[in-house]
This record gives sequence, C-alpha cells and structure tokens, in this order.
Amino acid sequence: MIGYFCKALGAHLRRGRSLLLLTVLGVALGVASVLSIQIINLNALAAFEGSMQAVSGDADLSVLGRMPALPESLYVDVLAEPGVQSAWPLVRVRAVLDGHEDFFLDIVGVDFFAPVRVPWQGDPVDFSQPLGQSGWAAFTPQLAAKMGWRIGDAVTVSKGSQRLPLRVGALVDFQRLTPLASPKLVLMDIAQAQHLLGRKGWVQQIDVVVAEGADVDLVRQRLQARLGAAVQVLTPAQRTRQTAGLLAAFRLNLTALSLISLFVGLFLIYTSTQASLVRRRAEFGMLRSLGATRGQLFALIVGEVVLLGALGVLAGLPLGYWAAQANVERVSATLTNLYLLDEISTLKLPPWLFGLAALSGIGGALAGALIPALDMSRRNARALLSDFTLHEKIGSLAPQLGALGTTVLILTGGWYTWLGRTWQPAGFVLAIAILSALPLLTPLAIRTLTGWIAVRGFGLGYSLKSLGARLQNSALAVASLAIAVSMLLGITLMVGSFRQTLQVWIRTTVQADIYIAPLAWRGQGDEAFLAPDLVRALRLFPGVQAMDRLRGFVAYADEQRVALAGVDIGLPGGSSRFALLAGTPQRVYREVRENGAVLIGETLARRRNLWPGDSLDLYTPAGRQSFAIAGVYYDYSPQGGAVIMDLQTLTAHWGEAGLNSVALYLEPDRDAEVVVDALRAAFADAAIEIRSNRRLRQEAFAIFDQTFAITRLLQGISLLIAVCGIALMLLVQAREQVSELALYRAVGATRTQLFGFFIGKGMGMGLLGLLLGAGGGILLALILVFVINRAYFGWTIQLYWPWQAIVQQVLIILLGAVAASLYPALKASKTPAMELRREDV
Amino acid sequence: MTRALTFENVSKTYALASGGSKYALRSVSFGVSPGRKVAIVGRSGSGKSTLLHLAAGIDGPSSGTVRVLERDFNTLSEGERTRMRRDEIGLIFQFFHLLPLLSVRDNVRLPAMIAGDRGSAARSRAEELLERVGLADRLDDAVQQLSGGEMQRVAICRALLRRPRLLLADEPTGNLDDENGRRVMELLLALTADEGATLIYVTHSRDFASQADAVWEIHSGELQI
Repeated sequence: MIGYFCKALGAHLRRGRSLLLLTVLGVALGVASVLSIQIINLNALAAFEGSMQAVSGDADLSVLGRMPALPESLYVDVLAEPGVQSAWPLVRVRAVLDGHEDFFLDIVGVDFFAPVRVPWQGDPVDFSQPLGQSGWAAFTPQLAAKMGWRIGDAVTVSKGSQRLPLRVGALVDFQRLTPLASPKLVLMDIAQAQHLLGRKGWVQQIDVVVAEGADVDLVRQRLQARLGAAVQVLTPAQRTRQTAGLLAAFRLNLTALSLISLFVGLFLIYTSTQASLVRRRAEFGMLRSLGATRGQLFALIVGEVVLLGALGVLAGLPLGYWAAQANVERVSATLTNLYLLDEISTLKLPPWLFGLAALSGIGGALAGALIPALDMSRRNARALLSDFTLHEKIGSLAPQLGALGTTVLILTGGWYTWLGRTWQPAGFVLAIAILSALPLLTPLAIRTLTGWIAVRGFGLGYSLKSLGARLQNSALAVASLAIAVSMLLGITLMVGSFRQTLQVWIRTTVQADIYIAPLAWRGQGDEAFLAPDLVRALRLFPGVQAMDRLRGFVAYADEQRVALAGVDIGLPGGSSRFALLAGTPQRVYREVRENGAVLIGETLARRRNLWPGDSLDLYTPAGRQSFAIAGVYYDYSPQGGAVIMDLQTLTAHWGEAGLNSVALYLEPDRDAEVVVDALRAAFADAAIEIRSNRRLRQEAFAIFDQTFAITRLLQGISLLIAVCGIALMLLVQAREQVSELALYRAVGATRTQLFGFFIGKGMGMGLLGLLLGAGGGILLALILVFVINRAYFGWTIQLYWPWQAIVQQVLIILLGAVAASLYPALKASKTPAMELRREDV
Repeated sequence: MTRALTFENVSKTYALASGGSKYALRSVSFGVSPGRKVAIVGRSGSGKSTLLHLAAGIDGPSSGTVRVLERDFNTLSEGERTRMRRDEIGLIFQFFHLLPLLSVRDNVRLPAMIAGDRGSAARSRAEELLERVGLADRLDDAVQQLSGGEMQRVAICRALLRRPRLLLADEPTGNLDDENGRRVMELLLALTADEGATLIYVTHSRDFASQADAVWEIHSGELQI
C-alpha cells in the first residue's frame, strides 16, 4: 500500500499543481498568522523578562513601589530583615537619546559596591571612574556599535525637559547574561543617576538576595509586612505574572484574530480534500474491490493531507517569522505607548513555538480533511464505483445544516442572556458561535438566494444560479469568505466606531490651544518632568491666558495599576476636559476641588463596580488612603483604569514633584500655530515638544492607527486565505464541470463567454460572501463593541458606520474575488466541446 | 446546388503513446443535400462520433475539408466556427447532457441564452417545441424529475430551438429502452421534417437507420456510401 501511496500521490500532485499550490498556500498563511502572533506575544513578555533578568538576575526578590519612587531610607529596613543576605537599591529611568525620536534608553543606576554581577566587556572597570567622572555611563556593545560610539565619546540624552550630557565610560554586555536583554540598557552609578536626574533620596527598586537556606516566600511575606502596603515585594515570577496580566487582553485579542485565519484555512483544506476525493472515488472503489480495507483507504487519504499540511507548515514557518519581524516594531511601539513596557529588541524563538505552529498547521489540515476522509472510507466498493457524487450531499443537507446553525445561535444567545453575562470571556463564546453558525447557514442561504434568481441570459444571474447548483463546492468557498468578511467588517466597524467615538471625545476634552510635554513623553512615563523655571516662563509667555498643569504617574488601587493624574480642576472653563458618564458636573467639580474627591475613568468604574458615592483606596507614601468618588468620566486609557484629582490634593498626598505636561489657553484672537512657532524659538534649548491642539489630535490618532496596524495585517491574511479559497473552488469546478463547459461550447458558447461565466461565478461568490459576511460582521461588531470591549477594557464606544472604509473594503473583496477567478476562468475557457463525456452533466 | 454538409478527403488521426498514429477517419468524402436524413451505422470505435465532431466543428480534421452550408471550416476562426454551431447546427447526444440547475424550459432556452437572445420569442419557441414533444405540462419541472425518454425529448427541443439547418445526433436512442427509443426517433424525424432541417444521425439500430433517406456504414474509419 505504501508503494501505491507514493505512486498515486506523485501522479495526483503532478496533475493538480495549481490546486496543490493553493492548498499549501492556505495552510502556510494560517500557520504564518498563528506563528507570527505567538512570536510577538511571547516576545512582548520576553522583552520584559530579558531586561528583568539582566538588571535583577541575581535577586530573589524585588521591592517595588506602588508609587513612582521609593524613599531610599527603605533600604535600611530591607537589610534589617533577618532572612535578607544582601540588598541593593536601583534607580531606573527612561531617557531619550538626543536627536532620535522615540529612542528610549533604560538608565539603571546601581551601587557598584553592591554584590551585583556586571558583565563588563574587556577589563573590569576601575570604580573611581563611574563614581568620579560626571556623566560616566556604561553602554551595551550592541548599542555602541549601532551608533558608532567609542569609549570616551559624549552622548546627550534628555530626561523630561532637560538635556543631560553622558560619556561612554565602558561597555557592558548584558546579552552575555541573558540573550534577550535590551541593548538599550545603560548603567550608571546610583548617586550620579540620582543627581543627574534630580531624584536625590529616591529609588525605583531594591533588589534582595535571600540568605542561604531561608524560605524565599517567607522572607517575602515578612518583608512585605515590615515595609507596609505602599510597596510590593515580588519574586521574579510574580513580576512576570503581573506584566502578563497587564498584557492579557492585548495578547488574547491578537491570538483570537490569528486563530480565525487558521479557521478560514481549515475550510480550504476541507474543500480541496473533498474535491480530490470526489474526483477519485472510482479509484477508491477499485481499491476497495481489490481488497483494500477501510483503514487503508482512510490512511491513504489522511496521509496525503498530512503531507500537504507539512508542506504548508514548511512554507508557513519562515513566512510567520518574517511577518513577526516585519511587525515587531509596530507592536513594540504599541507596548511602549500604551503599557510603558520595554521594547522588543531581539526575537526569542524557542523550538516549541515552531512545534506549536507545525502542530496547528498539520492539526488544522487533519481537522479539515477528517470528515470527507471518514465519509469516503466508510462507503462500500459498490457505492464508490457507482455514479454517485457528493454534489447533492450538502444540497440535500442544507435545511438540516441551516437548522443546526440557527440552533447554535439561539442556544448561545440564550446562554449568554441568562448565564454568561458575568463571565469575562463570554464575548469570545458568542463570536465563536457566530463564526461556527455562518458556514452552517451558508448552504441554505445560497440555495434560497440563488433560487430566487430567474435566469434570463448567460450572464451574472446564470453564474449565480450555477453556484446554487454546485453547493458542495461553492458553499465552502462562500462560507470561508463570509468568515473572513465577518472578521473584516466586524473589526472595521469596531475600529471605525472607536475612532469616531474618540474623535468626539477628544473634540470635547482636548480644548487647550497648545500642549507642552517633554520630548517623546509617551515612553518616559512618570519621570518625564518639565523644569519648574520652564513652567514659569511658559505661563508668562505673551499671549498665554491660562495654564493647565498635569502631573501623572502609575499608582495602585489595591493590586490594580491605575493612571493617576492631578490637574488644575478649578481652571475657569476647564470642566469640559472630562466628559462625565456619572455625576452632576457642578457638584462633581466642587467635590474634587474643595473636598479632595476624585474622578475615576469608566474602565475602572466598571471593573471595580465603583460609582459616585463610593470611595477608592490608593497607596500614598503615608499608606493606604481613601478618596471619595465624585464622578465617573468617559476614559479610553488601556492600562486598566484612570483616576483624576486636583493637583493640590495630589501634592498633599504624594509630595512635591515636577509636572509632566502643561496645556496653554491663549488669549482670544491669538493664532495657536503662530504662538507655537514663537514658543519653539524661545525654548529651542529645552527638550520639549510643543504641539498645537490640531497636532496633538493628529498624533493621538496616529498612535490609535498604529495600535490597530497588526489587526489589519491579520484581517488581510484571513482575506487572502479566503480569496485563495475562491480560486481553489473555481479551479475545482473548472475540472469537475468539464462536461458542462463542453456542453456550453457545443451549443455555441464562445471562449469569452465561458471566461465571463467563471468570472461571474467568482464575483457571485464574492457577493454572496459579502452578503453573508455582512450579517456576521455586524453581529461580531456588536459583540466586540458591547461585550468583549466592555469586559476587557470597559470603554463606552458609540456605534458608527465608517462608510468610506466599508465601501473601500467591499470593492477590494469584489476585486479580490474577480482576481481569484482569472486563472480558473482562463482554464475553463479553454475547455473544448470534445470533452463531453458519457456521464450526465 | 448548396449542400448542407460536405466532406472532401477528410482524414483524422490520433497520435499513439507508443509513437506513430491511428486513423479514426480515412479519406472520407460525401455531400448531403438540404432536408435529407442520413443514418450512419458502424461498430463501436469505427469513427462515427469522430465524423459528427468534425461536422459540428468541435474538432478539426488532420487533412481534407469540411464544409457546412458551403462554409469551409478550415478557413473559419475558432470563434466563427462557434457562432456557426450556435446559429446553424443543432447537436443531440446519447446522454442528453441536460443541466440540473435549469428547469425544463430553461434547458431548451439555453442556446438562446448563450446567444444573448433575451426576448420572449425564444421563450415562446421553447414552449412551442415542448408542446410538440408532449411536455407542455412539465415546463417548470426540474430535469431530474424526467424519465430518460422525456430527457431526450427536451434535448431534441434544445437542439431545434434556434432553427438550425443541420442537425447532428450521436446515438440519440442509445440510452433508451426500445419503446422510448422508437418514440424519440419518430419525434426526431418528424420534427426535423417540419423544420426543414438536414439530419445526420449515428445509430446502432438497423431499424432506426432504415427510417432515413440514406444509410451509410463506417468501418475502421472508412465510409461506405
């Protein structure tokens, strides 16, 4: 049987090269989609782990604040704990490399006399240099090589609005300790770092080595009790878990999208396997009559599919790696912009990841082939040798399949209404139900829709009618396209609605004329301060009527990270800065201004079920403090929640510190762009970005679009697979319908007419896929907006119809369908009338 | 006089996998006057179907000339031959070749659809033909619901729809039982006579052959008139 398998396989592959190519491409794209997303997901976390291992690799525990920084005095308390063998403080700050937009350096200030392992490149450093030379810093050899720096070179960085001169004092190769360490890590003496960065007496982290034989968890608990709730004492694993939790929704969404590509690819396999089996039924009948067992037949069919799956995997692995590499920068920028996490600098590719991708490709291929393979192997020799075809099967099952699809939708809808509402992943169950019901409903929908068409000529109507008559092929191609269209339309609707909602929100809330923040403020987080004298000069600048000041940092409400900001809440006319979801504006602002109450974002409100009248506990340097919630405002931050309070309240609880940004309101009749130019000229030396209102809005949307760039890539892959499905289907039909095509030729159809007939079929599949996909897409959009988004992000998104994008995508899909039909149409048009065979058409 | 179909020294050879070639038709020459009915008989593989394919222009001769209504197929482009087939030639097959996606009426209308004729005339003509073959009450039925004899009657109507001047039938009763075969043959001959068309049909049955104006026999690609 193995000999026959090899010979038959070779013959079939030679005869159907185009089919083979499309099938392999379908698997390859599915595998590539899954692999690329898994690489990105894994490395998003690995980048964090890499830097953590490089900086705190020797530590058993890290003491971190629930505020921007920890008082240095805590270090003594840490060392006083009996189970602690050694400990050392760290200052960690992000700075921007001068002249390079969004190029962040992760400056780590360490105590060189502490027992930390520093992987110096070359001779060990004489410690008098880092301590004695101002601006001495050790850079990684990777960064030095990239920038062309040598020992002794001067490097300027900006921290907040200040420019700081550094000097390349030594090279330190963290990648020797851990290959994923960021090349952008910079090492300095802790005192120098504190001095340069203006944070004397404060540190960001204290790393701890536990005494030999001591129980790490016990020491952790004791340290936590000793240091109080204002700090967190975490093991490296706990820190990783915390970051994983932060990224969970981001990673889950990408994984779900990539799996849809694989799901669409699965249809391709199903279709091509079934087509191949229908064509070879007589061969199987002959094998069965010669004594081949059902098992042997099943193995023969499955063996071929596994081989095709393996070829798809082979092509998909490099494609997936390439896709990950091509998109890593965008995702990295999103991680930095939205989550203030480390950039992904090196891609970690553990072998199991490739194993997983291979398994998904071959598993997907097997899953797609299983039903037709089982069906064919179960038939007896007589049935296989008869003129039976599978053509009628889907057609005759259409009502039952339709009923099953409807049942799936009703049951899932019922489950959600009565039971699933409170379960966070319930939205994904609904989405899966829609994507599963769609292919089940497709045959009945095609049959019904094409049944209404009265055939008048040999045009598009005729092509559509012929799709209804060939459901076994067309239903699968239409179903896979409908799934891709659903995903495309659902996400387009969601993203479009989100964008429009944001536009309205920004128009309402971003009302100052000019916004000023340190350079590349997005990646610097809490520590990017504007110098106080600069703030004063800005306030007194000609034409400036009022200034809104903002200080913000990540704080903790219990175990949850929240973006805390202090603003001048009493600013005249400033109340419109927050679009309130709950609370009466006048009362809310009075409470915030006069009584130290807070406004909380919708995300936090929904997640914690906190509303006006409730209170929120935040960790302050003085410990846990309770704040009355005066109102809830619409908030679209990705970090799990935002809290606003008056700047005075913030200073009273967290102490004095710099401002992170200011907004200027100009006198009436002042042209914002003219003032922006004047400000730029006046403060040319300061490392600040001055943006007009218009520019800030543009940048906000640039970040928004970048965040969804990877989503668009995944949408594109699914659509490409679905278009491959159309091409595959039409090629199958061009082969299977030889007799029908020959008949048309015999009764006078020209080649051009046959070409048009097939283009019509392709367009028909496109139209039907669009029609069915539109239904699924609208449902998916509703689920994404009102269920998944609410459950994972808690945003209120108004539903808008981005017509321009929708029309554009409809045209692309139809063009794709027509393009996919060109080659099969060409093949079909070449069918000679001589090909009329003895069997019925 | 204008001939409906002319073969002049027509030969058709097929290349063999082992090299060399095999004659399907060897130097065949004949002429058929308009309105005549000619039966061609012969064993399987003798070249009967090849002769009909060449006459319909769906295959070309290896040598010689085929003329339909005095138009030389050798001088016509592929597109022109297709249009000849659409406008002047009707084809009937042993296995009916009806399309399951179309109703009985639309199967008959198919050549008009392909010709881009969307007027009501084609529809009326289809209904008229179906009435003449006794299927007036089956117009909207699916073809799968018809018996073999009924299917062949539909196929005959389809072949006659555009009033072809040359009708070519390849074993039109070959897939029917004796009784149905006899009825179909009678209808075919009667309708051809009514339409004034020339009929050339291939058959295994001496009985049916004897109903033609002339019976030609073909042996190993050689035609005996």
